Amino acid sequence: MAMLSFERKYRIRGGTLIGGDLFDFWVGPFYVGFFGISTVFFALVGTAMIMWGAAMGPTWNPWQINIAPPDISNGLKMAPMMAGGLWQVITVCALGSFVSWALREVEICRKLGMGLHVPVAFGFAIFAYFTLQVIRPVLMGSWGHAFPYGIYSHLDWVSNTGYQYLHFHYNPAHMIAVTLFFATTLSLSLHGALVLSATNPGKGQAVKTPEHEDTFFRDVIGYSVGTLGIHRLGLFLALAAVWFSALCIVISGPFWTRGWPEWWGWWLNMPIWGH
Amino acid sequence: MMTRITFKLLLASTAALLIAGCERPPIAVSQTGFRGTGMEQVYNPRTLATQASLNKAPAVADAIVEVPGGPKAGAIYQNVKVLGDLSVGEFARTMSAITEWVAPQQGCNYCHVAGNFADDSVYTKIVARKMLQMTQKINSGWKQHVAETGVTCYTCHRGNNIPKEIWFKPEPQKSAGGNLGNDAGQNRAAKSVGLSSLPYDPFTPYFLDSKPIRVNGKEALAMTGAAANRSSIKQAEHTYGTMIHWSNSLGVNCTYCHNTQSFSSWGANATPQRATAWYGIRMARELNNEYMVPLTSVFPANRLGPTGDVAKANCATCHQGAFKPLYGAAMAKHYPALYAPAKAPDAPATVPVADAGQAVPLAGKVEVSAK
Amino acid sequence: MAEYQNLFTTVQPTGPASSGVPLPPGDSERIGPPFFLHLAGRLGNAQIGPIYLGWLGLASLLFGTLAFNIIGFNMLAQVDWNPIQMIRQLFWLALDPPAPKYGLSIAPLNDGGWWNIAGFMLTVSLILWWARMYRRARQLGLGTHVAWAFAAAIWLYLVVGFFRPVMMGSWAESVPFGIFPHLDWTAALSLRYGNLFYNPFHALSIVFLYGSVLLFAMHGATILAVGRYGGEREIEQIIDRGTASERAGLFWRWTMGYNATMESIHRWAWWFAVLCPLVGGIGILLTGTVVDNWYLWSVKHHVVPGYPAVYVPTIDPALLGVKP
Repeated sequence: MAMLSFERKYRIRGGTLIGGDLFDFWVGPFYVGFFGISTVFFALVGTAMIMWGAAMGPTWNPWQINIAPPDISNGLKMAPMMAGGLWQVITVCALGSFVSWALREVEICRKLGMGLHVPVAFGFAIFAYFTLQVIRPVLMGSWGHAFPYGIYSHLDWVSNTGYQYLHFHYNPAHMIAVTLFFATTLSLSLHGALVLSATNPGKGQAVKTPEHEDTFFRDVIGYSVGTLGIHRLGLFLALAAVWFSALCIVISGPFWTRGWPEWWGWWLNMPIWGH
Repeated sequence: MMTRITFKLLLASTAALLIAGCERPPIAVSQTGFRGTGMEQVYNPRTLATQASLNKAPAVADAIVEVPGGPKAGAIYQNVKVLGDLSVGEFARTMSAITEWVAPQQGCNYCHVAGNFADDSVYTKIVARKMLQMTQKINSGWKQHVAETGVTCYTCHRGNNIPKEIWFKPEPQKSAGGNLGNDAGQNRAAKSVGLSSLPYDPFTPYFLDSKPIRVNGKEALAMTGAAANRSSIKQAEHTYGTMIHWSNSLGVNCTYCHNTQSFSSWGANATPQRATAWYGIRMARELNNEYMVPLTSVFPANRLGPTGDVAKANCATCHQGAFKPLYGAAMAKHYPALYAPAKAPDAPATVPVADAGQAVPLAGKVEVSAK
Repeated sequence: MAEYQNLFTTVQPTGPASSGVPLPPGDSERIGPPFFLHLAGRLGNAQIGPIYLGWLGLASLLFGTLAFNIIGFNMLAQVDWNPIQMIRQLFWLALDPPAPKYGLSIAPLNDGGWWNIAGFMLTVSLILWWARMYRRARQLGLGTHVAWAFAAAIWLYLVVGFFRPVMMGSWAESVPFGIFPHLDWTAALSLRYGNLFYNPFHALSIVFLYGSVLLFAMHGATILAVGRYGGEREIEQIIDRGTASERAGLFWRWTMGYNATMESIHRWAWWFAVLCPLVGGIGILLTGTVVDNWYLWSVKHHVVPGYPAVYVPTIDPALLGVKP
């Protein structure tokens, strides 16, 4: 199979978690591994379930297809397929394929002699999904609290779930998470721009050095986090954003049932303010 | 090493701070829309239990006094303007109940001159007369909102001279700086809007005036000229603020009435409760304008608001945190005095109850999570 | 012994501070002297400073401070000059734009005029700061990618605070200066214009927002994972590909069948991050000017999902001809 010019020397055996040499091969550019097999399995089953749900539904319009969780009254039981059971199977397949993907990434990292930062980072995203679709529904006593699978329908769920708390912007963890999302995007733009500005300095100019990068940011804001630091910062901001997102939703319902603006009462009523 | 400890400390203190104002599972839920839409009411069962105990209807002490052919109160007593058609016995029974509901400490003398019950000198008697008319109007003329349950004096007063939940126009902001510091009627942590910074008078525009609550148009595209939707974002903030009041007054959230996919749509995107609410705000407006405002000169200064206006009603006045006042306990039917006399049809033709606001079972009963 | 994960620097060598790449003649001297923060050094560089303060920067700070003070003093006045209450109520306080009745005229000072002035000062400050970013890059012989990324953010700021209010004929449409109040504005905008989730540009902007977070997690993690091969030396790796770039690229190629290069990942990064405010700004600009109700617009374009009815559809009582 066609490989990148430098690829051959890296294609060695080893690094697998399960299965040894049995699945230790590539298909085209894709590494397989045991978890490649399990990923494909879960993904195919899950996709087939989605197709089935769409076929049983009123439309094939991709924007309108909706696979909904069971009624809240169904509690934490398995629901009939056409009344939320399909959703449950798809969720299991989703988790199965996400975890398989992460473990496959682990195998690839081990094979390439890399740290495990990428699958760990992906683990945060899986955790957020798990929080939304498993942890929070379990804490609230029913699968019916999870979001539906549908492009616009999942947004309707977001809207209604937010308004359950009257004004979700006042959720303090949500405020932190949003700030972190914007901070990550800001930092990404700065980092991408800085590297490109050093390597694409314009007509007639020589490629610049990390000293130029540092100098630019010190000149502009008095501090440069540096080439290693920016990657730590970016990873931290991104993972913190996802962490606080999971936090902000898991507290809404299980740990707070009123409007979120009302939560701020503790600050306004602190004895420290005097009268 | 040091960083790890500091980090853990930071984590612990953040957690403690956040938990400071929090609740805990299990929670109680009721689904108000199709599964997966996220239309649900979320309750803390412990709060609900406290609420239920605080919102109980008092026991009905005695039975309705029916004396067909017997003397009417209007014939026997002097200066009876509203309840003249009741039998004497029922009249007395009603008076006794009102005393329990509104002035249990002060007794009859809260409204009456001792020894001369016909005397109108005590202002509270004037107020009570108007209140009786108001109650009759609610029960007989606003069935689209109160159905057959109706209200009694207790619904608002709950044994207090003044209902706990009333509203006055807010004091005009004294701008300390003259040239600066205009809060534009918002940007305070006002209880009236659930501690948000939305406009802090969500009452005057909608519970006294008839400002439009709706801010959405019927067209997808922006129109020009007469067809243009001229509502502003500020108006939307005003609507939002009053809606937060409505929600908190009933102990519900926005999805009790709306599928927020499209707030303005009716049909499948509005629960039956939304129609009930539509009548409710119009009822509140009428009560304030026809019954409370005319009483302004009757009340002494210490009963008026900071701008000299009379106390007025909003959703919380009756509901007091319950989706139906007293959780739907039917008190009024035991007190015929609280309904308009049969021979005086006052309300114009109204929509039959079946079309609007009739209680339809919510999809799924209230569930408490297993833990 | 546990393996080092390249998350925090354990040993910090200290030495003379870097005074930076020399500036061309005509520029001011940098302001220092630089100092070191050990704690900062655990994550990135420990050196703080020197900073460059030229005319653009000075002017920007001046206008920015003016705006900040106008906002701050208006807030303080709202709480009767009580600093304790200022702190207590800070999140709720705001400087509001004028009421709709003033249209696009400059309102009386205490009825929105201060907002006009503060907004103007802040805008000038931002544009001056943009010029500073541009100039500093040019003076150091760098490309101007940072400035152009910043321009995308300024685009969104101008859309929300200037272009759209002008097109709508009303400063009242713009955002108050306040923490909770600007969140109220956000919610009210969505309420007024028929649910912004149904604005396709809003949806696309969110794709780029979440995508940026995804990308930085991916890129940050990847570089840290190949730190042992000098992965963070990106410029050197770009012009002379080493084993760090090779392993990083192969990780993604074997994972998802595609990989960027050490340079192109930064282009993915730049575009994703820049497209968030760029596309978002377009979405806001169209709101109210072209589209009045995004839900109804989406119904017209056949993307709105329907749900089975769980109760008899409720008729709008206003249509029933009932005299309320």
